[in-house]
Amino acid sequence: MDAVIKVEGLRGGWDRLPVLDGVDFRVMEGEILMIVGRSGCGKSTLMRHMLGLIKPWAGRILFRGIDVWSNPDAMLNARRRWGVTFQSGALLGNLSILENVMLPLREYTDLTEREMITVAFSKLETVGLAEFATANPMEVSGGMQKRAGLARAMALDPEVLFFDEPSAGLDPVTSAKLDNLIKSINRSLGTTVIIVTHELASIFAISDRVIMLDAETRGIIATGTARELRDGSTDPRVRAFFRRNVGEESD
Amino acid sequence: MSGKLEYDEPRVVIRGVLADTDVDYVRNFFRRYRSRILDSGRLVVDFRDSPGIDSVTAVVLQGFCNELRRAGVRVSFENTPRSVMEIFESLSKFESAASDFKNRVSLGETLEFIGRSWYEMASTVAGLGRFLLETLGAFLQVLLTPMKIRWHMILYYMEESGYKAVPIVATLNWLLGVVLGYQAGYQMRIFGAENFMPTLLAYSITWEIGPMLAAVLVAGRSGSAYAAEIGTMKVREEVDALRVMGFDIFNYLVVPKMMALLFVMPFLVLLANISGVLGGMVSGMMFLDLPAGTFVSKLGGAVIPLDILWGMLKSVVYAVIISTVGSYMGMRVRGGASAVGRATTAAVVMSIFMVIFADAMLSLLFVHIRPGLSF
Ligand SMILES: Nc1ncnc2c1ncn2[C@@H]1O[C@H](COP(=O)(O)OP(=O)(O)OP(=O)(O)O)[C@@H](O)[C@H]1O
Ligand SMILES: [Mg+2]
Repeated sequence: MDAVIKVEGLRGGWDRLPVLDGVDFRVMEGEILMIVGRSGCGKSTLMRHMLGLIKPWAGRILFRGIDVWSNPDAMLNARRRWGVTFQSGALLGNLSILENVMLPLREYTDLTEREMITVAFSKLETVGLAEFATANPMEVSGGMQKRAGLARAMALDPEVLFFDEPSAGLDPVTSAKLDNLIKSINRSLGTTVIIVTHELASIFAISDRVIMLDAETRGIIATGTARELRDGSTDPRVRAFFRRNVGEESD
Repeated sequence: MSGKLEYDEPRVVIRGVLADTDVDYVRNFFRRYRSRILDSGRLVVDFRDSPGIDSVTAVVLQGFCNELRRAGVRVSFENTPRSVMEIFESLSKFESAASDFKNRVSLGETLEFIGRSWYEMASTVAGLGRFLLETLGAFLQVLLTPMKIRWHMILYYMEESGYKAVPIVATLNWLLGVVLGYQAGYQMRIFGAENFMPTLLAYSITWEIGPMLAAVLVAGRSGSAYAAEIGTMKVREEVDALRVMGFDIFNYLVVPKMMALLFVMPFLVLLANISGVLGGMVSGMMFLDLPAGTFVSKLGGAVIPLDILWGMLKSVVYAVIISTVGSYMGMRVRGGASAVGRATTAAVVMSIFMVIFADAMLSLLFVHIRPGLSF
């Protein structure tokens, strides 16, 4: 299997606050990779570096062998092939849900209005929101906003799907449904998926591989499948993360 | 449930649980018995009938105990439940930290604060400059590829910032024209010079007051709206979402606003000038026995095309200032909803400041391009 994204020697953070130091990992074609760790360990920061929202202090982020920060075209090319769903959905409040999904189509394709609407509806259908197409994003629930965000992220059939905290703010059932949706997209379209989360249930449900970050080391402290990390790790921080949560779950 | 205090020298017995609603009661109680406690030199706070205490009342109680201790009173606690002990312990741990906190504003720090705010001001202006350059870059790029112009957005902002501002700009300038005409005419009449009022009024309105008032109104209406719109999008990660979808933020969010203002501002200024002069005409008719015909013929002899053009030219500068400052303040928003509020205020204050500053510069530099008035 090939690496779609390679992160090499990444150092970064906010303004003058260092968060990550020496982060190296690969994202393989077609896998679901989960970036996990305790609150404040830098998961969202890492994702923002990868998405090109904040510039890394050092190191490279390679998408299919090309450093996305090397020039604006590389970044634009990567972004056209990536889909991103933000924690809040981040739908534009002045557009309807349908128009939100049409946004990338409008920007990047020469489809006619009718064709764009058709594509947008089929994406909304995938996430089960076709009947809410004309609603304003603010009029639907948080879970629906996330699904609409997912539909928008999928509008151009991305090669890589990024997802920040899919389960945050959702009840366990809705969250599990969203997980299944992500999994089925991954399996049927072969989309590579990168998810930031600290929800153990979804880690065990759908991840192929997990990397765990830690605030103190400012880097990766463990890599492997969810089961390997839970049962095989001797690192007390990894054990605490996986055991404590598991313990709470069985309570 | 609320508690009661009883004084039984040297004891203060607490009955029930002192709740946060009892703060005034506790304060009054200690004020009343303060001198008696000081005289006796001893205080025993007795919790035998009290199972607990709110931290809000506890901090007040502790304050009094510390004050009495400093005055030489021996203070002790009795029958204190474990939970209450813990509250007092945790409070006393932070008490000294809290007083350090309050005393922190020293002279050096004040100076540092002033220095920092100047520094922040300077960096804001520098950031604004960079932002303007980037916007102009995107602007030129859009002009080179006209398919990329977002006409529907420009039309939307033209309606919001231009068309909808018509009533207020017209009304306020008319009113100001009336007042100015009256004031000027009233004073000039003393020299029998009220016939010069139309010329003077038209000059001051077209060169200064009309453009300025229009700009201030647009800054208040639209500069703030731009900052709020972009700021809210920033807070809700919408701006990030646009960026990762590969949208050029300047092209998508900033350029349409600037273009719209560039289109509408000259006409708003024209409107402001016309309504101001009309106001002056009305006041001439009503207060100075100056018939409309005379007024118009006076104007005809005095007003030159440059008077009308100059305000419209200046308004182009104002349009750039207002749209850039509004968008920049919105873009700078970080954090939550309150940051959006601060950004809108900052946008209005900053753009009015810069509009007046630019006006002063332009007037100083170009005052001589206007041939002398012919009355
Ligand atoms: N907008 C920001 N500006 C400045 N510092 C930030 C900002 N966002 C996060 N940080 C800092 O970066 C560090 C890592 O935060 P980050 O949001 O990446 O953590 P996280 O792993 O995503 O946590 P969570 O699970 O709570 O979302 C923290 O120390 C935080 O204070
Ligand atoms: Mg996060």
